[in-house]
Amino acid sequence: MKKMLASVVSRVLGATQKPPLRVLLTSCNYSKDATIDIKSCDLYRLEGGPASSTLLTRDDGLKYYRAMQIVRRMELKADQLYKQKFIRGFCHLCDGQEACCVGIEAAIKPTDNVITSYRAHGICYTRGLSVKSILAELTGRRGGCAKGKGGSMHMYAKHFFGGNGIVGAQGQIAEAYNMAALWKLPCVFICENNRYAMGTAVERAAASTDYYKRGNFIPGLKVNGMDVLCVREATRFAADHCRAGKGPIVMELQTYRYHGHSMSDPGVSYRTREEIQTMRSKSDPIMLLQEKMISHKLSSVEELKEIDVEVRKEIEEAAQFATTDPEPSLDELGHHLYHSNPPFDVRGANQWIKYKSIS
Amino acid sequence: MNLFQAVTSALDNSLATDPTAVIFGEDVAFGGVFRCTVGLRDKYGKDRVFNTPLCEQGIVGFGIGIAVAGATAIAEIQFADYIFPAFDQIVNEAAKYRYRSGDLFNCGRLTIRAPWGCVGHGALYHSQCPEAFFAHCPGIKVVIPRSPFQAKGLLLSCIQDKNPCIFFEPKILYRAAVEQVPVEPYNIPLSQAEVLQEGSDVTLVAWGTQVHVIREVASMAREKLGVSCEVIDLRTIIPWDVDTVCKSVVKTGRLLISHEAPLTGGFASEISSTVQEECFLNLEAPISRVCGYDTPFPHIFEPFYIPDKWKCYDALRKMINY
Repeated sequence: MKKMLASVVSRVLGATQKPPLRVLLTSCNYSKDATIDIKSCDLYRLEGGPASSTLLTRDDGLKYYRAMQIVRRMELKADQLYKQKFIRGFCHLCDGQEACCVGIEAAIKPTDNVITSYRAHGICYTRGLSVKSILAELTGRRGGCAKGKGGSMHMYAKHFFGGNGIVGAQGQIAEAYNMAALWKLPCVFICENNRYAMGTAVERAAASTDYYKRGNFIPGLKVNGMDVLCVREATRFAADHCRAGKGPIVMELQTYRYHGHSMSDPGVSYRTREEIQTMRSKSDPIMLLQEKMISHKLSSVEELKEIDVEVRKEIEEAAQFATTDPEPSLDELGHHLYHSNPPFDVRGANQWIKYKSIS
Repeated sequence: MNLFQAVTSALDNSLATDPTAVIFGEDVAFGGVFRCTVGLRDKYGKDRVFNTPLCEQGIVGFGIGIAVAGATAIAEIQFADYIFPAFDQIVNEAAKYRYRSGDLFNCGRLTIRAPWGCVGHGALYHSQCPEAFFAHCPGIKVVIPRSPFQAKGLLLSCIQDKNPCIFFEPKILYRAAVEQVPVEPYNIPLSQAEVLQEGSDVTLVAWGTQVHVIREVASMAREKLGVSCEVIDLRTIIPWDVDTVCKSVVKTGRLLISHEAPLTGGFASEISSTVQEECFLNLEAPISRVCGYDTPFPHIFEPFYIPDKWKCYDALRKMINY
């Protein structure tokens, strides 16, 4: 009945509908939620895995869509600002991998602690930093989340410890796995496997590309990292595993990045444009969620387009702020070296330049 | 108490007064290879004094993590020679934590302890003095005591200091140095050098074991040359007490710095460079550095390698006669 009414009204009024009427139509057009089947995970040293179907509410769906769209647009804006030389230094973009950060956040508590490596802008946003503060940190301004001193790789928030460089990490992670398993620490080790270590394909860099098994004595699961619902369910499962006191667990998210490793990498010298195009057209995380929501009547093309417009506006404003906010003053160069009581002088590039260090 | 007992006392005080303090490292549970942690596990429990696997990088990385999370972390590296796998964690993570997060996070509650210096039979990998490597890294503090009384006060200051600290303990003094040490906690301030003996003709600067060598050199100089030496124990390597040393050189006009570590790039070069900047017109002679040779720490040649009192005395004589 409701559907018939909707179709009659739309035929009568034509393509453009008056806003008040459209609001009425939207609220009775959509389902509140839907049960969606998701791809099951490969398991290692685990008897059971995450659920194979999940309940997605309309609200959650819109929330995830919005978040992923923000991350996507923010990364593309960062790309633009970098090319315009507002952002200098290193910049590692995660567009293509939005489902990972949004899916993980959907399954954990705000009080859980997260730490990650350098491709972190997405997770900075999902952990609570505003787009403004992220972009301003990239452009090195006062309004940045680390006051302009950390840059792309060093953004922090409550219960989020950055953004870190990863030189020499293979040994470090082996030691971390050992300590975590030995002391049964409630730690989820997540590998966002985007198939390339900088420019080296995983087949050429790793003796075993089954990263979810690399925890050796730690159980693991392999997850479709392009589907935000798969990521959510898997993270939920992994978090429950840890919270139940069963010790650490490894999660490999199979995902893909559209950009090169960093802004200095075109991204096409080690992979074909066709491969990137195929991923975009068949596995784009935002597109996958959109299709699911529309086919399960949780939203419509128009509604999602509206969200796109809002998101674009928000990113534009943030970029405006990021390019106009003043840089931190030179006096701050020496600050926060130590926790010190009396401010002391930090020697500069020659003996006549000194900076005050204050904490 | 001797030096290792003074260290145990300091750790005991810390664990007693600070409920978040934990001690960890290789073999610390049974008391440690130098007996610095004897009795602490029985007294405070296995959750506060525990062993780690054999992974220096992991030890320091783990220490940084729990320091950030709010515990007072006291990590032990079994020998200073083994600290190099953790060098990246110390220099790139610990030292820069506060700076790179704009003071949002810090790992100031971390203290790393390590036995340091020549011991007569240590050879290449049980004798090193790596303070110069860390002196080049803003963001951490490096402290070296010369005696049990100094060790306890300085160690407690390091543990309580809100910056990551490295505390090197001269291993040859663990048993050899004995002094009256209070049982209650007390602090000796960091970044303050101590003038052990006032003098008017030459300033002698050293730290750790070498302080005792230069003290002997000072009395030799007084007897044989009638020269009055001012003896300074630097105590904190970074941030170091520039004022005390410069004030002394302004008075005496001559400076001799001595350390076991190799000459090139050793910390004496930093002191020398700063002093000549600040006190150029006061200097009567070039600044003298009596240090180890630029070779790995030798096994059989150790007696030839170390800057003993004769080498220091000789350098002092040359400076007087300049």
